[in-house]
Amino acid sequence: MSGDIRLRREFIATSLLLLVLALLPLAMRDVYWLGVLVVSAYFAILASSWNLLAGFTGQFSLAPAAFAMIGAYGAALSAAYYNVPPLIGLLIGTVSAGLIGLVLGRIVMRLRGPYLALTTLSFAEIVRLVASNSINITRGDLGLPLEPWFNDRVIWFYVFLSALTFVICGLYLLLRSQAGLFLEAIRDDEIAAARSGVRIVFWKTAAFAISSAAAGFAGALYAYFASLVTPELGLVQQTGLVVSMTVIGGMGSLIGPVVGAFLVYVTSEWLRDVGGWQLVIFAALVIVFARLFRAGLWGLVITALAPRRKLA
Amino acid sequence: MTSLLSVQGVTKRFGGLVAVADVTFDIAPGELVGLIGPNGSGKTTLLNIMSGNLSGDEGTIRLDGEPCTGLKPQRLARRGLMRMFQLTRIFPRMNVLDNLLVSGRALGLAADEAKVRANGLLEELQIAHVRHLDAGQLSGGQMKLLEFGCCFMRTPRLALLDEPFAAIHPTMKEIMSRFIRARHAEGQAFVLVSHDMPVIVELCPRSICMNAGRVLSDGKTSDVLTAPAVIDAYLGGAAA
Repeated sequence: MSGDIRLRREFIATSLLLLVLALLPLAMRDVYWLGVLVVSAYFAILASSWNLLAGFTGQFSLAPAAFAMIGAYGAALSAAYYNVPPLIGLLIGTVSAGLIGLVLGRIVMRLRGPYLALTTLSFAEIVRLVASNSINITRGDLGLPLEPWFNDRVIWFYVFLSALTFVICGLYLLLRSQAGLFLEAIRDDEIAAARSGVRIVFWKTAAFAISSAAAGFAGALYAYFASLVTPELGLVQQTGLVVSMTVIGGMGSLIGPVVGAFLVYVTSEWLRDVGGWQLVIFAALVIVFARLFRAGLWGLVITALAPRRKLA
Repeated sequence: MTSLLSVQGVTKRFGGLVAVADVTFDIAPGELVGLIGPNGSGKTTLLNIMSGNLSGDEGTIRLDGEPCTGLKPQRLARRGLMRMFQLTRIFPRMNVLDNLLVSGRALGLAADEAKVRANGLLEELQIAHVRHLDAGQLSGGQMKLLEFGCCFMRTPRLALLDEPFAAIHPTMKEIMSRFIRARHAEGQAFVLVSHDMPVIVELCPRSICMNAGRVLSDGKTSDVLTAPAVIDAYLGGAAA
Protein backbone atom coordinates (compact mmCIF):
# COMPACT_ATOMS: atom_id res chain seq x y z
CA MET A 1 0.00 0.00 0.00
CA SER A 2 1.25 3.51 -0.76
CA GLY A 3 2.81 5.23 2.25
CA ASP A 4 0.62 8.25 1.51
CA ILE A 5 -2.59 6.22 1.64
CA ARG A 6 -1.48 4.43 4.82
CA LEU A 7 -0.70 7.75 6.50
CA ARG A 8 -3.98 9.31 5.36
CA ARG A 9 -5.90 6.31 6.74
CA GLU A 10 -4.12 6.66 10.09
CA PHE A 11 -4.82 10.38 10.15
CA ILE A 12 -8.54 9.83 9.51
CA ALA A 13 -8.67 7.17 12.24
CA THR A 14 -6.84 9.49 14.67
CA SER A 15 -9.22 12.34 13.85
CA LEU A 16 -12.21 10.10 14.54
CA LEU A 17 -10.66 8.99 17.84
CA LEU A 18 -10.06 12.61 18.85
CA LEU A 19 -13.66 13.42 17.92
CA VAL A 20 -14.94 10.60 20.16
CA LEU A 21 -12.68 11.82 22.97
CA ALA A 22 -14.03 15.35 22.53
CA LEU A 23 -17.53 14.03 23.28
CA LEU A 24 -16.51 12.37 26.56
CA PRO A 25 -17.05 15.39 28.86
CA LEU A 26 -20.68 15.49 27.67
CA ALA A 27 -21.25 12.10 29.26
CA MET A 28 -18.79 12.34 32.14
CA ARG A 29 -18.35 15.24 34.54
CA ASP A 30 -16.38 13.44 37.25
CA VAL A 31 -13.44 15.72 38.16
CA TYR A 32 -11.11 12.83 38.97
CA TRP A 33 -11.69 11.03 35.66
CA LEU A 34 -11.44 14.32 33.73
CA GLY A 35 -8.01 14.73 35.35
CA VAL A 36 -7.10 11.22 34.22
CA LEU A 37 -8.10 12.09 30.65
CA VAL A 38 -6.02 15.28 30.77
CA VAL A 39 -2.94 13.35 31.88
CA SER A 40 -3.67 10.74 29.18
CA ALA A 41 -3.69 13.51 26.58
CA TYR A 42 -0.37 14.77 27.99
CA PHE A 43 1.12 11.31 27.57
CA ALA A 44 -0.40 11.01 24.09
CA ILE A 45 1.53 14.15 23.01
CA LEU A 46 4.68 12.82 24.64
CA ALA A 47 4.30 9.36 23.06
CA SER A 48 3.54 10.88 19.63
CA SER A 49 6.65 13.04 19.84
CA TRP A 50 8.78 10.04 20.85
CA ASN A 51 7.20 8.01 18.05
CA LEU A 52 8.48 10.53 15.50
CA LEU A 53 11.99 9.78 16.70
CA ALA A 54 11.82 6.05 17.45
CA GLY A 55 8.98 4.89 15.18
CA PHE A 56 9.58 7.01 12.10
CA THR A 57 13.32 7.78 12.24
CA GLY A 58 14.70 4.76 14.10
CA GLN A 59 16.41 6.73 16.87
CA PHE A 60 15.64 5.03 20.16
CA SER A 61 16.02 7.90 22.62
CA LEU A 62 15.32 7.42 26.31
CA ALA A 63 14.88 11.11 27.07
CA PRO A 64 11.26 12.07 26.22
CA ALA A 65 10.36 12.64 29.88
CA ALA A 66 13.51 14.74 30.34
CA PHE A 67 12.47 17.01 27.46
CA ALA A 68 8.96 17.32 28.92
CA MET A 69 10.61 18.33 32.19
CA ILE A 70 12.81 20.87 30.38
CA GLY A 71 9.68 22.35 28.76
CA ALA A 72 7.91 22.43 32.13
CA TYR A 73 10.84 24.19 33.83
CA GLY A 74 11.15 26.58 30.86
CA ALA A 75 7.56 27.68 31.44
CA ALA A 76 7.74 27.61 35.26
CA LEU A 77 11.06 29.49 35.59
CA SER A 78 10.02 32.19 33.12
CA ALA A 79 6.73 32.60 35.00
CA ALA A 80 8.39 32.60 38.44
CA TYR A 81 11.25 34.98 37.62
CA TYR A 82 9.89 37.13 34.78
CA ASN A 83 6.18 36.80 35.34
CA VAL A 84 5.54 35.95 31.69
CA PRO A 85 1.98 35.08 30.61
CA PRO A 86 1.15 31.39 29.99
CA LEU A 87 1.23 31.59 26.18
CA ILE A 88 4.74 33.06 26.25
CA GLY A 89 5.70 30.50 28.91
CA LEU A 90 4.49 27.72 26.61
CA LEU A 91 6.58 29.15 23.80
CA ILE A 92 9.68 29.41 26.02
CA GLY A 93 9.24 25.82 27.25
CA THR A 94 8.79 24.51 23.71
CA VAL A 95 11.71 26.44 22.22
CA SER A 96 14.12 25.65 25.06
CA ALA A 97 13.37 21.92 24.80
CA GLY A 98 13.73 22.13 21.00
CA LEU A 99 17.10 23.91 21.20
CA ILE A 100 18.51 21.48 23.76
CA GLY A 101 17.17 18.64 21.59
CA LEU A 102 18.98 20.15 18.62
CA VAL A 103 22.29 20.13 20.51
CA LEU A 104 21.77 16.62 21.91
CA GLY A 105 20.69 15.43 18.44
CA ARG A 106 24.02 16.60 16.99
CA ILE A 107 25.98 14.96 19.80
CA VAL A 108 24.30 11.55 19.45
CA MET A 109 24.20 11.72 15.65
CA ARG A 110 26.39 8.71 15.00
CA LEU A 111 25.10 6.57 17.87
CA ARG A 112 22.66 3.75 17.39
CA GLY A 113 20.84 1.06 19.40
CA PRO A 114 22.01 0.56 22.98
CA TYR A 115 24.66 3.31 22.70
CA LEU A 116 22.05 5.91 21.73
CA ALA A 117 19.65 4.64 24.40
CA LEU A 118 22.33 4.76 27.10
CA THR A 119 23.58 8.23 26.11
CA THR A 120 20.10 9.75 26.09
CA LEU A 121 19.28 8.01 29.36
CA SER A 122 22.42 9.49 30.91
CA PHE A 123 21.46 12.93 29.57
CA ALA A 124 17.98 12.54 31.06
CA GLU A 125 19.36 11.63 34.47
CA ILE A 126 21.88 14.51 34.41
CA VAL A 127 19.13 17.02 33.57
CA ARG A 128 16.85 15.65 36.28
CA LEU A 129 19.61 15.70 38.91
CA VAL A 130 20.61 19.25 37.94
CA ALA A 131 16.99 20.35 38.36
CA SER A 132 16.75 18.47 41.64
CA ASN A 133 19.96 19.94 43.08
CA SER A 134 19.63 23.54 41.85
CA ILE A 135 17.63 24.34 44.94
CA ASN A 136 18.30 28.09 44.78
CA ILE A 137 16.77 28.31 41.34
CA THR A 138 14.25 25.46 41.05
CA ARG A 139 13.50 24.83 44.75
CA GLY A 140 14.67 21.26 44.07
CA ASP A 141 12.29 18.46 44.98
CA LEU A 142 9.92 20.94 46.66
CA GLY A 143 8.92 22.00 43.17
CA LEU A 144 8.25 25.31 41.52
CA PRO A 145 4.66 26.53 41.87
CA LEU A 146 2.76 28.20 39.04
CA GLU A 147 -0.39 30.28 38.95
CA PRO A 148 -3.10 27.99 37.51
CA TRP A 149 -4.17 29.03 34.01
CA PHE A 150 -7.69 27.61 34.34
CA ASN A 151 -9.46 25.89 37.18
CA ASP A 152 -12.16 24.07 35.26
CA ARG A 153 -11.03 20.56 34.31
CA VAL A 154 -13.40 20.48 31.32
CA ILE A 155 -11.57 23.50 29.91
CA TRP A 156 -8.24 21.81 30.65
CA PHE A 157 -9.40 18.67 28.86
CA TYR A 158 -10.27 20.65 25.73
CA VAL A 159 -6.99 22.62 25.95
CA PHE A 160 -4.99 19.36 26.03
CA LEU A 161 -7.15 17.78 23.33
CA SER A 162 -6.56 20.84 21.11
CA ALA A 163 -2.83 20.62 21.82
CA LEU A 164 -2.86 16.92 20.91
CA THR A 165 -4.79 17.68 17.72
CA PHE A 166 -2.28 20.40 16.86
CA VAL A 167 0.65 18.00 17.36
CA ILE A 168 -1.03 15.21 15.37
CA CYS A 169 -1.82 17.61 12.47
CA GLY A 170 1.77 18.89 12.55
CA LEU A 171 3.17 15.35 12.49
CA TYR A 172 0.80 14.38 9.67
CA LEU A 173 1.88 17.34 7.54
CA LEU A 174 5.54 16.63 8.30
CA LEU A 175 5.28 12.92 7.53
CA ARG A 176 3.39 13.32 4.26
CA SER A 177 5.96 15.83 3.00
CA GLN A 178 9.32 14.79 1.58
CA ALA A 179 10.70 15.07 5.12
CA GLY A 180 8.59 12.04 6.10
CA LEU A 181 9.98 10.11 3.13
CA PHE A 182 13.54 10.90 4.19
CA LEU A 183 12.97 10.12 7.88
CA GLU A 184 11.47 6.72 7.09
CA ALA A 185 14.34 6.02 4.69
CA ILE A 186 16.86 6.81 7.45
CA ARG A 187 14.93 4.51 9.81
CA ASP A 188 15.01 1.62 7.33
CA ASP A 189 18.63 1.90 6.19
CA GLU A 190 20.84 4.89 6.86
CA ILE A 191 23.53 3.79 4.39
CA ALA A 192 20.99 3.33 1.60
CA ALA A 193 19.47 6.73 2.45
CA ALA A 194 22.90 8.39 2.21
CA ARG A 195 23.50 6.64 -1.12
CA SER A 196 20.21 8.11 -2.33
CA GLY A 197 21.40 11.62 -1.49
CA VAL A 198 19.45 12.12 1.78
CA ARG A 199 21.20 14.61 4.10
CA ILE A 200 21.42 12.30 7.10
CA VAL A 201 22.88 14.73 9.64
CA PHE A 202 20.33 17.44 8.82
CA TRP A 203 17.25 15.22 8.94
CA LYS A 204 18.25 13.23 12.02
CA THR A 205 19.00 16.44 13.91
CA ALA A 206 15.76 18.01 12.70
CA ALA A 207 13.77 14.98 13.90
CA PHE A 208 15.46 15.13 17.29
CA ALA A 209 14.78 18.86 17.65
CA ILE A 210 11.12 18.61 16.53
CA SER A 211 10.46 15.63 18.79
CA SER A 212 12.10 17.39 21.75
CA ALA A 213 10.16 20.59 21.09
CA ALA A 214 6.86 18.66 21.02
CA ALA A 215 7.77 16.92 24.31
CA GLY A 216 8.71 20.31 25.78
CA PHE A 217 5.37 21.72 24.62
CA ALA A 218 3.55 18.89 26.42
CA GLY A 219 5.63 19.45 29.55
CA ALA A 220 5.05 23.21 29.57
CA LEU A 221 1.31 22.72 29.20
CA TYR A 222 1.33 20.11 31.95
CA ALA A 223 3.19 22.57 34.22
CA TYR A 224 0.26 25.02 34.01
CA PHE A 225 -2.22 22.19 34.57
CA ALA A 226 -0.44 20.74 37.61
CA SER A 227 0.52 24.22 38.95
CA LEU A 228 3.71 22.64 40.27
CA VAL A 229 6.86 21.53 38.46
CA THR A 230 9.12 18.97 40.13
CA PRO A 231 12.05 16.87 38.85
CA GLU A 232 9.72 13.85 39.09
CA LEU A 233 8.41 14.80 35.66
CA GLY A 234 11.72 13.64 34.21
CA LEU A 235 11.88 10.29 36.01
CA VAL A 236 12.96 7.38 33.86
CA GLN A 237 9.73 5.58 34.87
CA GLN A 238 7.85 8.27 32.93
CA THR A 239 9.93 7.44 29.86
CA GLY A 240 9.16 3.76 30.43
CA LEU A 241 5.48 4.61 30.40
CA VAL A 242 5.85 6.58 27.14
CA VAL A 243 7.70 3.67 25.48
CA SER A 244 5.08 1.15 26.72
CA MET A 245 2.21 3.29 25.43
CA THR A 246 3.81 3.59 22.01
CA VAL A 247 4.70 -0.11 21.74
CA ILE A 248 1.23 -1.25 22.89
CA GLY A 249 -0.59 1.23 20.64
CA GLY A 250 1.61 0.67 17.59
CA MET A 251 5.03 2.17 17.00
CA GLY A 252 5.59 3.83 13.63
CA SER A 253 1.91 4.68 13.13
CA LEU A 254 0.31 8.06 13.68
CA ILE A 255 -2.56 6.69 15.75
CA GLY A 256 -0.71 4.06 17.82
CA PRO A 257 0.74 6.33 20.52
CA VAL A 258 -2.63 8.09 21.01
CA VAL A 259 -4.50 4.80 21.44
CA GLY A 260 -1.72 3.45 23.67
CA ALA A 261 -1.55 6.55 25.88
CA PHE A 262 -5.30 6.69 26.62
CA LEU A 263 -5.63 2.94 27.00
CA VAL A 264 -2.62 2.45 29.26
CA TYR A 265 -3.16 5.50 31.46
CA VAL A 266 -6.93 5.12 31.89
CA THR A 267 -6.56 1.38 32.55
CA SER A 268 -3.73 1.96 35.03
CA GLU A 269 -5.96 4.36 36.97
CA TRP A 270 -8.80 1.87 36.79
CA LEU A 271 -6.48 -0.84 38.14
CA ARG A 272 -5.18 1.42 40.90
CA ASP A 273 -7.10 -0.64 43.46
CA VAL A 274 -5.00 -3.72 42.70
CA GLY A 275 -1.91 -1.82 43.86
CA GLY A 276 1.47 -3.00 42.56
CA TRP A 277 -0.18 -5.56 40.27
CA GLN A 278 -0.99 -2.86 37.71
CA LEU A 279 2.74 -2.56 36.96
CA VAL A 280 3.01 -6.33 36.58
CA ILE A 281 0.05 -6.35 34.19
CA PHE A 282 1.53 -3.59 31.98
CA ALA A 283 5.01 -5.08 32.02
CA ALA A 284 3.52 -8.40 30.90
CA LEU A 285 1.50 -6.63 28.20
CA VAL A 286 4.60 -4.93 26.84
CA ILE A 287 6.38 -8.30 26.68
CA VAL A 288 3.42 -9.86 24.84
CA PHE A 289 3.20 -7.00 22.31
CA ALA A 290 6.95 -6.76 21.77
CA ARG A 291 7.14 -10.53 21.23
CA LEU A 292 3.96 -11.28 19.33
CA PHE A 293 2.37 -8.08 17.99
CA ARG A 294 5.14 -5.78 16.87
CA ALA A 295 2.66 -3.50 15.09
CA GLY A 296 0.73 -2.98 18.34
CA LEU A 297 -3.02 -2.63 18.75
CA TRP A 298 -3.34 -0.58 15.57
CA GLY A 299 -1.58 -3.34 13.67
CA LEU A 300 -4.06 -5.86 15.08
CA VAL A 301 -6.98 -3.67 13.95
CA ILE A 302 -5.51 -3.37 10.44
CA THR A 303 -4.96 -7.13 10.22
CA ALA A 304 -8.51 -7.81 11.39
CA LEU A 305 -9.99 -5.39 8.85
CA ALA A 306 -7.82 -6.50 5.92
CA PRO A 307 -9.71 -8.42 3.22
CA ARG A 308 -8.83 -12.09 3.37
CA ARG A 309 -7.46 -13.67 0.21
CA LYS A 310 -8.95 -17.03 -0.66
CA LEU A 311 -6.59 -19.76 -1.68
CA ALA A 312 -7.39 -21.12 -5.13
CA MET B 1 41.68 11.58 -22.29
CA THR B 2 39.27 13.78 -20.25
CA SER B 3 38.72 12.02 -16.97
CA LEU B 4 35.30 11.66 -15.37
CA LEU B 5 36.69 9.89 -12.33
CA SER B 6 40.36 9.92 -11.44
CA VAL B 7 41.67 7.55 -8.76
CA GLN B 8 45.27 8.34 -7.83
CA GLY B 9 47.37 6.27 -5.45
CA VAL B 10 44.47 5.17 -3.25
CA THR B 11 45.53 2.98 -0.34
CA LYS B 12 43.52 1.48 2.50
CA ARG B 13 44.84 -0.56 5.41
CA PHE B 14 42.90 -2.51 8.03
CA GLY B 15 45.51 -2.96 10.75
CA GLY B 16 48.27 -4.98 9.14
CA LEU B 17 46.21 -5.89 6.09
CA VAL B 18 46.60 -3.68 3.01
CA ALA B 19 43.18 -4.02 1.39
CA VAL B 20 43.82 -1.50 -1.38
CA ALA B 21 47.41 -0.66 -2.34
CA ASP B 22 48.32 2.38 -4.39
CA VAL B 23 45.50 1.97 -6.90
CA THR B 24 45.52 4.39 -9.84
CA PHE B 25 43.22 4.56 -12.85
CA ASP B 26 40.94 6.95 -14.73
CA ILE B 27 37.41 6.52 -16.03
CA ALA B 28 36.44 8.58 -19.07
CA PRO B 29 32.92 9.97 -19.56
CA GLY B 30 30.65 7.32 -21.05
CA GLU B 31 33.03 4.45 -20.31
CA LEU B 32 31.78 1.07 -19.10
CA VAL B 33 34.52 -0.54 -17.08
CA GLY B 34 34.48 -4.00 -15.54
CA LEU B 35 36.20 -4.36 -12.17
CA ILE B 36 37.14 -7.97 -11.64
CA GLY B 37 39.34 -10.03 -9.37
CA PRO B 38 39.22 -12.86 -6.86
CA ASN B 39 37.32 -12.57 -3.58
CA GLY B 40 39.24 -10.42 -1.12
CA SER B 41 41.14 -8.61 -3.87
CA GLY B 42 39.89 -5.19 -2.69
CA LYS B 43 37.18 -4.44 -5.27
CA THR B 44 34.41 -3.66 -2.77
CA THR B 45 36.79 -1.76 -0.47
CA LEU B 46 37.84 0.37 -3.44
CA LEU B 47 34.19 0.96 -4.35
CA ASN B 48 33.48 1.90 -0.72
CA ILE B 49 36.24 4.52 -0.88
CA MET B 50 35.07 5.82 -4.27
CA SER B 51 31.48 6.16 -3.03
CA GLY B 52 32.42 7.84 0.27
CA ASN B 53 31.36 4.91 2.47
CA LEU B 54 34.94 4.46 3.65
CA SER B 55 37.83 6.87 3.81
CA GLY B 56 41.12 5.89 2.25
CA ASP B 57 44.44 6.25 4.07
CA GLU B 58 46.30 7.70 1.10
CA GLY B 59 45.56 8.96 -2.38
CA THR B 60 43.09 11.28 -4.05
CA ILE B 61 39.89 10.90 -6.02
CA ARG B 62 38.54 13.50 -8.42
CA LEU B 63 35.13 13.60 -10.04
CA ASP B 64 34.91 15.83 -13.12
CA GLY B 65 38.28 17.29 -12.15
CA GLU B 66 37.00 18.38 -8.71
CA PRO B 67 38.52 16.74 -5.63
CA CYS B 68 36.03 14.50 -3.85
CA THR B 69 38.27 12.52 -1.50
CA GLY B 70 36.53 12.04 1.83
CA LEU B 71 33.16 13.44 0.73
CA LYS B 72 30.14 11.75 2.30
CA PRO B 73 28.01 9.43 0.12
CA GLN B 74 25.09 11.89 0.10
CA ARG B 75 27.33 14.68 -1.24
CA LEU B 76 28.75 12.36 -3.89
CA ALA B 77 25.24 11.22 -4.84
CA ARG B 78 24.23 14.83 -5.40
CA ARG B 79 27.34 15.25 -7.54
CA GLY B 80 26.20 12.34 -9.70
CA LEU B 81 28.00 9.32 -8.28
CA MET B 82 25.54 6.53 -7.47
CA ARG B 83 26.34 3.21 -5.84
CA MET B 84 24.63 -0.17 -5.85
CA PHE B 85 25.76 -2.44 -3.01
CA GLN B 86 26.73 -6.10 -3.18
CA LEU B 87 24.37 -6.92 -0.31
CA THR B 88 21.08 -5.32 -1.31
CA ARG B 89 20.28 -2.07 0.46
CA ILE B 90 16.71 -0.86 0.13
CA PHE B 91 14.04 0.52 2.48
CA PRO B 92 12.13 -2.67 3.44
CA ARG B 93 9.24 -1.00 5.31
CA MET B 94 8.53 1.48 2.54
CA ASN B 95 6.73 0.53 -0.64
CA VAL B 96 8.56 0.08 -3.91
CA LEU B 97 7.44 3.41 -5.38
CA ASP B 98 8.49 5.32 -2.25
CA ASN B 99 11.90 3.62 -2.35
CA LEU B 100 12.48 5.26 -5.72
CA LEU B 101 10.94 8.56 -4.68
CA VAL B 102 13.47 8.90 -1.83
CA SER B 103 16.29 9.07 -4.39
CA GLY B 104 14.34 11.29 -6.72
CA ARG B 105 13.33 13.85 -4.10
CA ALA B 106 16.72 13.84 -2.34
CA LEU B 107 18.44 14.47 -5.66
CA GLY B 108 16.26 17.49 -6.34
CA LEU B 109 13.39 16.27 -8.54
CA ALA B 110 9.96 17.84 -7.98
CA ALA B 111 7.28 15.50 -6.58
CA ASP B 112 5.43 15.02 -9.91
CA GLU B 113 8.63 14.68 -11.89
CA ALA B 114 9.95 12.07 -9.45
CA LYS B 115 6.72 10.05 -9.73
CA VAL B 116 6.82 10.04 -13.52
CA ARG B 117 10.48 9.03 -13.49
CA ALA B 118 9.89 6.30 -10.87
CA ASN B 119 6.96 4.81 -12.78
CA GLY B 120 8.99 4.84 -15.99
CA LEU B 121 11.84 2.99 -14.29
CA LEU B 122 9.47 0.45 -12.74
CA GLU B 123 8.02 -0.30 -16.21
CA GLU B 124 11.47 -0.57 -17.76
CA LEU B 125 12.72 -2.87 -15.00
CA GLN B 126 9.46 -4.88 -15.16
CA ILE B 127 8.56 -4.53 -11.50
CA ALA B 128 5.69 -2.07 -11.98
CA HIS B 129 3.19 -4.72 -10.78
CA VAL B 130 4.70 -4.64 -7.28
CA ARG B 131 4.97 -0.84 -6.99
CA HIS B 132 2.62 -0.68 -3.98
CA LEU B 133 4.10 -3.63 -2.08
CA ASP B 134 6.48 -3.04 0.81
CA ALA B 135 10.00 -3.52 -0.52
CA GLY B 136 10.69 -6.09 2.22
CA GLN B 137 8.08 -8.38 0.63
CA LEU B 138 9.86 -8.58 -2.73
CA SER B 139 11.91 -11.53 -3.95
CA GLY B 140 15.70 -11.22 -3.79
CA GLY B 141 15.88 -10.53 -7.53
CA GLN B 142 13.17 -7.88 -7.40
CA MET B 143 15.01 -6.20 -4.51
CA LYS B 144 18.16 -6.09 -6.65
CA LEU B 145 16.20 -4.54 -9.52
CA LEU B 146 14.70 -1.99 -7.13
CA GLU B 147 18.10 -0.95 -5.74
CA PHE B 148 19.40 -0.82 -9.30
CA GLY B 149 16.51 1.50 -10.22
CA CYS B 150 17.23 3.75 -7.23
CA CYS B 151 20.61 4.57 -8.80
CA PHE B 152 18.93 5.94 -11.92
CA MET B 153 16.21 8.19 -10.52
CA ARG B 154 18.37 11.05 -11.68
CA THR B 155 20.80 10.20 -14.47
CA PRO B 156 24.10 9.74 -12.63
CA ARG B 157 27.48 10.91 -13.95
CA LEU B 158 28.86 7.54 -12.91
CA ALA B 159 27.13 4.42 -11.58
CA LEU B 160 29.16 2.04 -9.41
CA LEU B 161 27.47 -1.36 -9.52
CA ASP B 162 28.76 -3.97 -7.08
CA GLU B 163 27.73 -7.48 -8.13
CA PRO B 164 24.35 -6.52 -9.59
CA PHE B 165 23.92 -9.95 -11.22
CA ALA B 166 24.76 -12.08 -8.19
CA ALA B 167 22.11 -14.66 -7.27
CA ILE B 168 19.35 -13.44 -9.57
CA HIS B 169 17.25 -15.16 -12.19
CA PRO B 170 18.60 -15.01 -15.78
CA THR B 171 15.49 -13.07 -16.88
CA MET B 172 16.23 -10.34 -14.36
CA LYS B 173 19.89 -10.41 -15.33
CA GLU B 174 18.86 -9.80 -18.91
CA ILE B 175 16.60 -6.89 -17.88
CA MET B 176 19.51 -5.27 -16.06
CA SER B 177 22.00 -5.99 -18.86
CA ARG B 178 19.65 -4.48 -21.43
CA PHE B 179 19.23 -1.41 -19.25
CA ILE B 180 23.01 -1.00 -18.87
CA ARG B 181 23.58 -1.44 -22.62
CA ALA B 182 20.91 1.15 -23.46
CA ARG B 183 22.20 3.71 -20.97
CA HIS B 184 25.79 3.11 -22.02
CA ALA B 185 24.80 3.76 -25.64
CA GLU B 186 23.41 7.11 -24.46
CA GLY B 187 26.76 7.99 -22.84
CA GLN B 188 26.25 6.81 -19.27
CA ALA B 189 29.46 5.77 -17.47
CA PHE B 190 29.58 2.62 -15.31
CA VAL B 191 31.96 0.68 -13.13
CA LEU B 192 30.67 -2.87 -12.98
CA VAL B 193 31.97 -5.34 -10.39
CA SER B 194 31.13 -8.91 -11.27
CA HIS B 195 32.42 -12.47 -11.20
CA ASP B 196 30.19 -13.25 -14.19
CA MET B 197 32.82 -13.31 -16.94
CA PRO B 198 30.42 -13.79 -19.91
CA VAL B 199 28.56 -10.64 -18.81
CA ILE B 200 31.82 -8.71 -18.34
CA VAL B 201 32.97 -9.80 -21.81
CA GLU B 202 29.61 -8.86 -23.34
CA LEU B 203 29.15 -5.49 -21.63
CA CYS B 204 32.53 -4.03 -20.78
CA PRO B 205 34.95 -2.85 -23.46
CA ARG B 206 37.52 -2.19 -20.73
CA SER B 207 38.31 -4.10 -17.55
CA ILE B 208 40.50 -3.66 -14.51
CA CYS B 209 41.60 -6.77 -12.66
CA MET B 210 42.65 -6.46 -9.03
CA ASN B 211 44.51 -8.91 -6.87
CA ALA B 212 45.68 -8.50 -3.26
CA GLY B 213 44.64 -4.84 -3.30
CA ARG B 214 46.64 -3.94 -6.43
CA VAL B 215 45.72 -3.40 -10.05
CA LEU B 216 46.95 -6.48 -11.84
CA SER B 217 45.88 -5.52 -15.32
CA ASP B 218 43.97 -2.63 -16.93
CA GLY B 219 42.99 -2.47 -20.58
CA LYS B 220 40.75 -4.00 -23.25
CA THR B 221 38.66 -6.73 -21.62
CA SER B 222 39.87 -9.39 -24.08
CA ASP B 223 43.47 -8.45 -23.30
CA VAL B 224 42.92 -8.41 -19.54
CA LEU B 225 41.24 -11.81 -19.54
CA THR B 226 44.08 -13.36 -21.50
CA ALA B 227 46.88 -11.73 -19.51
CA PRO B 228 48.96 -14.51 -17.90
CA ALA B 229 48.98 -12.73 -14.51
CA VAL B 230 45.14 -12.54 -14.49
CA ILE B 231 44.78 -16.17 -15.53
CA ASP B 232 47.24 -17.17 -12.87
CA ALA B 233 45.68 -15.13 -10.03
CA TYR B 234 41.98 -15.20 -10.88
CA LEU B 235 40.72 -17.22 -13.81
CA GLY B 236 42.87 -20.30 -13.55
CA GLY B 237 43.32 -22.77 -16.39
CA ALA B 238 39.63 -22.79 -17.41
CA ALA B 239 39.74 -19.37 -19.05
CA ALA B 240 42.86 -19.97 -21.06
